Amino acid sequence: MFKRTFSTLLIILLISNYNSIANNLYDKQDWREEEGIYTRIYDAKIKLISGEQTSIHQLAAKKPLIVALVFTRCAGVCNPLLLQLKENIQIILRKNQYKFSVLVLSFDPLDSLKDMQNLAYRFNLLNEPNWELAVVDSISSMTKSVNFFPVWDMRKKQYDHDALLVGVNTQGYITKKLIGLRSADEISLLISDINNVYRPSYRLPTPANMFTCFNYDPKTGKNTPGWGLAFIALPALLTVGILAFLRLRGKYHS
Amino acid sequence: METKKLNKITALWIVAILVLFILSIILGIIMRLNQGELIKIQPPTFYADMTTHGVTMIGIWFVAGMAAVNYFMERYVKTSYTANMFAMVMTVIGVVMLWLSTLVGNFHAGWTFLYPLPFKIMWSTWATPLFLWSIGVFGIGWFVWTISLMAAMLKKYSMSQVLAWQHFGKKDPEVSTPPFVLISMISLIGVLTCLIAAVILLILLFAEYYSGGTFKNDALLIKNLTYFFGHTIANEMLYLGLAVIYELFPEVSGRPKLKTTWYVALAWNLTLFFVLAAFFHHLYMDFVQPEGLQIIGQLASYLASLPSSGVTVFSIIVVVFRNKINWSLTNSLFFIGIVGWVVGGVGAVIDATISNNFILHNTLWVPAHFHTYNAMGNVLFSLGFFHWFSKYATNHSLPDKYSFVKLAILIIGGVGFLLAFYIAGADSVPRRYSTYPKGLESAKTLAAVGGVFAIVYLTGILSFFVNISKRCLNVLFQRS
Ligand code: HEM
Repeated sequence: MFKRTFSTLLIILLISNYNSIANNLYDKQDWREEEGIYTRIYDAKIKLISGEQTSIHQLAAKKPLIVALVFTRCAGVCNPLLLQLKENIQIILRKNQYKFSVLVLSFDPLDSLKDMQNLAYRFNLLNEPNWELAVVDSISSMTKSVNFFPVWDMRKKQYDHDALLVGVNTQGYITKKLIGLRSADEISLLISDINNVYRPSYRLPTPANMFTCFNYDPKTGKNTPGWGLAFIALPALLTVGILAFLRLRGKYHS
Repeated sequence: METKKLNKITALWIVAILVLFILSIILGIIMRLNQGELIKIQPPTFYADMTTHGVTMIGIWFVAGMAAVNYFMERYVKTSYTANMFAMVMTVIGVVMLWLSTLVGNFHAGWTFLYPLPFKIMWSTWATPLFLWSIGVFGIGWFVWTISLMAAMLKKYSMSQVLAWQHFGKKDPEVSTPPFVLISMISLIGVLTCLIAAVILLILLFAEYYSGGTFKNDALLIKNLTYFFGHTIANEMLYLGLAVIYELFPEVSGRPKLKTTWYVALAWNLTLFFVLAAFFHHLYMDFVQPEGLQIIGQLASYLASLPSSGVTVFSIIVVVFRNKINWSLTNSLFFIGIVGWVVGGVGAVIDATISNNFILHNTLWVPAHFHTYNAMGNVLFSLGFFHWFSKYATNHSLPDKYSFVKLAILIIGGVGFLLAFYIAGADSVPRRYSTYPKGLESAKTLAAVGGVFAIVYLTGILSFFVNISKRCLNVLFQRS
């Protein structure tokens, strides 16, 4: 008797906690692009490689920004991020009419303006009109405001960090983020978004979402019906059942 | 149900509804005057008022329809006093919980409490569960009442009789279904379905609220369920009012009772099915919703409204055209109410057409049309019934004084209030703005004008309130 009660309780406990365990795992593995959307990026003072002093909001007020976070000694993802971004921007500029600037910011306190100028030289960005490279004053407040948390790896003498692009509109609001190396199409969507042009986007499923109407598969781009749809049909079905029951009951009583 | 008991509970409903109506109109006037910058309230107070106003108005005009239908249903079948009383108790408890959550707890997610707003807590933490439970309490009371009325009808009539299917193809079938029974049943089926949708909606919202983040809802599913419930109940309450008009309009006009014909039966059966799918028109802007459902939404909006309004207008014309009518306050209110319902309905159909919705979505056009068929439609249906009932139950046979003045005040106030919404809506002024930003100067002026006309409308309502409630209180405190 005790055993049975105990095992039933254990099963209930496991089932009720499954979602929370799955959710925590999910949170740890995945950075969330939706984190911090519609909050303002920290208005840090920045120094552009041209020597001009300004702030992030002031720069954004002129043209919406794509902020890329890198450091000059980076042996990891920074180089491919910048290379691919440059290539994609060239493709986009051929078709996209929206205004924007790319602001490459260093999040390493050791980087000087000279280091950033060298970076611009190496990537052939010195004469690119849409590009600005800069060092920033309050690095931690700025990185915190975009949910970017690089971790210093003592052994490799490198920051462990993700490739992040932050879209900021002219009022300084973060309207979209892209994590990882992304295609020209996705960057083009980000550019529309920071220009306040509506772009549809699909929520990615999480284990906590059990009853979804449609499930979007980002790999195939297909939307398949989910269990949630059944809930929309359920009220009508239950009503038919209740009506049948009431009529049978009424017939019996009369 | 014993007549005295039925009279007493109906009188109690009427007094409670009118008191809540007046308080809710005052909240509406405060909102409009604030939008017009004639007074100043803080945005959270504006939205708490808007939420209280919206839920209370929908709630009271729904129970007004139910109370009137229950009253006349007794002419055909035996109804349950206990269920009626239970609904009254639950409604009172629900209203107290609702007003506490909004006016004390400052819950202000709007009458549709669209997900995830209730969980983005910008008010006292207890206000979210209290608000959701208040909807649950209403739902339980109304569910029991609906089931009891349906059970009473299904004891006497078979399923096909109550839906008047025997009228298809036959001119004079053996059993004739009175239009009141047909329309009441059609409406109650819709009410039952949308209350079940509300139950599912609340279960899902509570599951998320009490799961501590382990269960998350699908925003699209919740939006579908919210409008399945909200849109459907807002429509069905109008149909309950129409059932009463089919019953009472010819009677007070001194004309023979209306009969169910094949086209009346067909139109209302279409309404039964299509009104349940019309809510999809609230999701035109949700690109994830498949296009098929959007098209169903548009077609269902037409098919649910056009046939039923067509046959109703036709039936009313048949009653009044070239006939001597005993015009009284009751049938005048019904008649003006039908005009308001049709005008508002046209506004709604315009908005439910996808190509127009791109422009009118979430503009003041939306409150314009739904206030038309409510404030100048359904309210007048119920007011007509309240007036008739208060005289009938107290054997009051003296002619009404100042009827013309009262009606004129109501019409002038109502039309002015509504026009301000329509003009602003056609000019793309957004709805649900506490105050309008620079550049929308005309919206401010229109809001102020609308607010002043609403005060005129309130004066008209007060003139009805005094006499009706006095007589209803007499019914309530009559010795048995
Ligand atoms: C003279 C009487 C009334 C006045 C002054 C009034 C005023 C208002 C105002 C100013 C709003 C907000 C509009 C906006 O979106 O900017 C509103 C919303 C609303 N009203 Fe009224 N109203 C009146 C009568 C009614 C009636 C009779 C109903 C009956 C059902 C009703 C139901 C609603 C609903 C459901 C909302 C939407 C609330 C929301 O968006 O959450 N109102 N009303």
